Amino acid sequence: MSVEFGIIGQQLVNGLTLGGMYALLALGYTLVYGILLMINFAHAEMFMFGAYVGLFTLQGLSRIEFFTSSGPALLLLYVLTFLIAMVVTGILGVIIERFAYRPLRHAPRLAPLISAIGVSLFLQNAALLWISSRSIPFPVLFEVRTFRIAGANISSMQILIIVTTILLMLVLDTFVSRTRLGRAMRATSQDRDAAGLMGVDINRVIALTFFIGPALGGAAGIFSGMYYGNIKYNMGFIPGIKSFTAAVIGGIGNLRGAMLGGFLLGLLESLAAAYISTGYKDVIAFAILIVVLIFKPGGLLGESVAEKV
Amino acid sequence: MTAIKNGIQSVTGFFSTRPGKIAFYVVLALFTLLMPVYFQSVGNAFMVRIFALVGIYVLLALGLNIVVGYAGLLNLGYIAFYAVGAYAGMNLGFLMQELLMGLGFLGEKPENWSYWALLPFAAVPGAVAGIMIGGPVLRLRGDYLAIVTLGFGEIVRIAITNNIGGITNGASGLPAIGQRVAPVAGQEWARLNLSSGNFIFSKDLYWYYIIVALVLFAVLVITRLDNSRLGRAWVAMREDEVAAASVGVNILTTKLWAFALGAAWGGIAGHTYAYWVGFISPESFNFMESVLVVCMVVLGGMGSIPGTILGAVIITAAPEVIRAMAASPAFSGILTAEQASLVGDYRFLIFGGLMVVMMAIRPQGILPSKRRARELHPVDEKVLAQENQQLWEAEHKHNTDSDIL
Amino acid sequence: MSVAKSKRLFAVIAMLTMLAMVVTACGGDNGADNGDGATGDLVEVKIGVSSPFTGDVAALGLGIRNGAQLAIEEVAPELEELGISLSMLAVDDAADPRTGVNAANQMVSDSAVVGIVGHLNSGVSIPASEVYNQAGVVQVSPASTNPALTLQGFENVFRVCTIDTVQGSFAAEYAYDELGLMSVAVIDDSTAYGEGLAAEFAAAFEAKGGEVVSTDKIQVKDVDFTALVTKINGASPDFIYFGGMYTEGALISKQAKEAGFEGPLMGGDGLYTQQFVDIAGAANAEGDFATSIGLPLSEQPKGQEFQAMFEERFPGETIEAYDTYGYDAAMVIIEAIKAVAADLGVDELTTVAGKQAIIEAVAATDFEGVTGAVAFDENGDTTNKAVTPYVVRDGAWISYTD
Repeated sequence: MSVEFGIIGQQLVNGLTLGGMYALLALGYTLVYGILLMINFAHAEMFMFGAYVGLFTLQGLSRIEFFTSSGPALLLLYVLTFLIAMVVTGILGVIIERFAYRPLRHAPRLAPLISAIGVSLFLQNAALLWISSRSIPFPVLFEVRTFRIAGANISSMQILIIVTTILLMLVLDTFVSRTRLGRAMRATSQDRDAAGLMGVDINRVIALTFFIGPALGGAAGIFSGMYYGNIKYNMGFIPGIKSFTAAVIGGIGNLRGAMLGGFLLGLLESLAAAYISTGYKDVIAFAILIVVLIFKPGGLLGESVAEKV
Repeated sequence: MTAIKNGIQSVTGFFSTRPGKIAFYVVLALFTLLMPVYFQSVGNAFMVRIFALVGIYVLLALGLNIVVGYAGLLNLGYIAFYAVGAYAGMNLGFLMQELLMGLGFLGEKPENWSYWALLPFAAVPGAVAGIMIGGPVLRLRGDYLAIVTLGFGEIVRIAITNNIGGITNGASGLPAIGQRVAPVAGQEWARLNLSSGNFIFSKDLYWYYIIVALVLFAVLVITRLDNSRLGRAWVAMREDEVAAASVGVNILTTKLWAFALGAAWGGIAGHTYAYWVGFISPESFNFMESVLVVCMVVLGGMGSIPGTILGAVIITAAPEVIRAMAASPAFSGILTAEQASLVGDYRFLIFGGLMVVMMAIRPQGILPSKRRARELHPVDEKVLAQENQQLWEAEHKHNTDSDIL
Repeated sequence: MSVAKSKRLFAVIAMLTMLAMVVTACGGDNGADNGDGATGDLVEVKIGVSSPFTGDVAALGLGIRNGAQLAIEEVAPELEELGISLSMLAVDDAADPRTGVNAANQMVSDSAVVGIVGHLNSGVSIPASEVYNQAGVVQVSPASTNPALTLQGFENVFRVCTIDTVQGSFAAEYAYDELGLMSVAVIDDSTAYGEGLAAEFAAAFEAKGGEVVSTDKIQVKDVDFTALVTKINGASPDFIYFGGMYTEGALISKQAKEAGFEGPLMGGDGLYTQQFVDIAGAANAEGDFATSIGLPLSEQPKGQEFQAMFEERFPGETIEAYDTYGYDAAMVIIEAIKAVAADLGVDELTTVAGKQAIIEAVAATDFEGVTGAVAFDENGDTTNKAVTPYVVRDGAWISYTD
């Protein structure tokens, strides 16, 4: 009984870890959708790009002896790695928006989608050709311990990922609901033209959105590298589809919905793999998506608004 | 500069006159029909195959165009219908072989007729799948529908990989050991009667013409659909669901028709693909394929048949053409063999970049449908006025001409 | 239609085609030179090499290309004296059946191509083999291990690697008898290769009296197997058997060990690459097993020689699982080219009859390759059935001989 209980607990932690990464990535989809009503397909590549930048930063900084000399210095190393990778990925996001999406702001709705797919193909192949076609091991410089809690084996890495993910989300949530810029973002997502008339610099808000989303996606990419121990040029594709699904389950355009959807999807996937079938785990995830949408067409936390108002 | 501009204008001017148009279509038809013959005659079966593959994607894109272009429903799992058609075609084909061999009155090798015997029904599995997925979820608005269809596409692919019902042979694909796809009736006849000298009327060439015939048929059917009551209902619904419903369009059945008809063409394409290639496995039906078909429709111009065809040609052929161009003698002086193969590796990178550039230059697609082009630019009053003027002129041109005469 | 009439028709068609080409300014843009195939006094002969150069298993595919390239470059001077200019035509199949069939057509469209080294994946080799069969060009696969490939009744299809049945049952016997492992959790990666190998292993292991506690399927490109390994951990089998490639295998090993699984992971030749250890992490991979076809490089008759050659030509690159097979597969074709050139003369090599003669010469192959004695049975499978178990010790694969 206790063994069985421990395994369920362990599966829940597995699911939450996976869900945390989905949620971080889903936030990027939902932010962009909320403001531009476009599915940013290239967002999956931010996950990959962030992981590569993280890897190179980590490799570069760890050559400096100071960073590996003591525990706090190591912590500083990781904080710096995350910051640099997030900023660089965020800047890439802004650049992509500027050159690939901004010219299309008044174009037919599907045009930016195609542009985004083009960007995604470009980035993936750039990583393939200019970095490597192989998986690259992602070093972990600290010792990963496994704790046994109530019969479940939980690694310090899992705890780190879940806690940091939740922290990042709290920061984002506070930013969006409490600050001036956050208010501008909310205003823009409600009515872009009206917000513009009220003095909100729309271009700046959109650029900000394209900074925050990719930055969070990049962080998720580093987590993925640390957790699974390797990164690859096409690593963003599957998490990308899943996170988009998560964002829709939660109600696309809704930040808390994306977080909820991400964790939910991670949990469902883990439990389905464990207790139903590994081969069909994705089928189960998608089937649940369909069922959710049939009963709550706007997603769990989304409002059901008519197509045209 | 002006000389070039004038030159271009005179060329485009020529093609917009009546004899010009006829000349253009004749050249196009000759190119389509004879280019593969040329490639085959120089022994380049690879290019013949690329032509046939392009044809298959044209069929798929035309089918998806019904759903995305006409009815305005974004479907990101369209390849599932293609897969259903392919697997149904193969499995029913094995049954049909047995049946036809039992009947035995269709010539020497009756089993060869299974492709033809199934062709009239090839659309059915796709359409059924379309209705099955469409029914419950069509109430969803735009992007939610997109993600549900994406999910459906993945469900179909995974189910095939897991050998659902024991009929898909999992990842190993069909035909399984012991099964075989019979060569299609007529192929042997064509090879014997149409080959001449070094030229062989090959299997690929034979399939190419079947595919071209299917494409022509699809264009005919879809044009008729577009101008039908149903086609107008799609336009009305795409523009404004509430308004359409209030003037008596049954939204649910109209959407369902779009889904079923689009899926039916997917089924036909799948059936033909399965018999042409003679081997199908789940890898051929992944999400990226669905995305590429959507790209074809949007890049070419949603709701426009020539546009969709052009989009499919560009997207299917571009990576291969980039690769082949780099390796061609024309570039051999400029690029070393190693560089040429490097360009081959860069083909998807170039292709991705081109997609971005294309969209920035022509967001409405390369050859947008006239009707949609106007709908999509409601803000752009000037363009609208200009286009209306052009349309008016086009319609009244005939009269003015006769006045002068 | 009379013959004369049909000839006239084709003359007209040819003319119109030329016209169409001029109008559309489209040259024969595929690099198929269909000329006489002669450069100077030498007869131009090519060996096609196709395997994945991009994508998930590019490491293995590029290894095959490296191996074949070594063989071709090694004999090129010798063949030049015979009046043959030998070169390689390498085409990416991206591990995708459709791209693979296109690649196959591209290669056979070039009449100078007399033999194919390819492909890596059975799922690609099987549909492509039909193309080679129709074109009458010999195919020697260095790595496609699915039994179905050579059971299609094609006389032109050969392989220098052992089939899955041999490898799967060897692994089962080895685990049960030699390592004393009694229960297993079987996982496969839903590909033709992985599915075949895992099924073969599971059947053999049960026949031995072992217990298969669970069988699961995963999808290629998945990275999260924590739920699966946690479940397997609950059933606590002695070891995990994985049918698939190193990309997923290494992650399963890593995640299983981190979730507290204590047994080893075992798999086939798809795991036998240094990449496996690098991705899983040396500590996690320690003690994992892999079976691979043929003898280890160090014990292969010409292993040292090959290694020296490889390091000189490709400094800084590592030898992957199939490099030596790529080399031997190319050598099989080269030997056949030499034999046919001696029998029929160099000018006959690229004709239909010459290609047929090459197929027959390959069937009669009998020479000492890097991987051991190379000869083919009536199906076209290698008679070299040696399988070697390897184990990870101190972060590297070593042959398990203790």
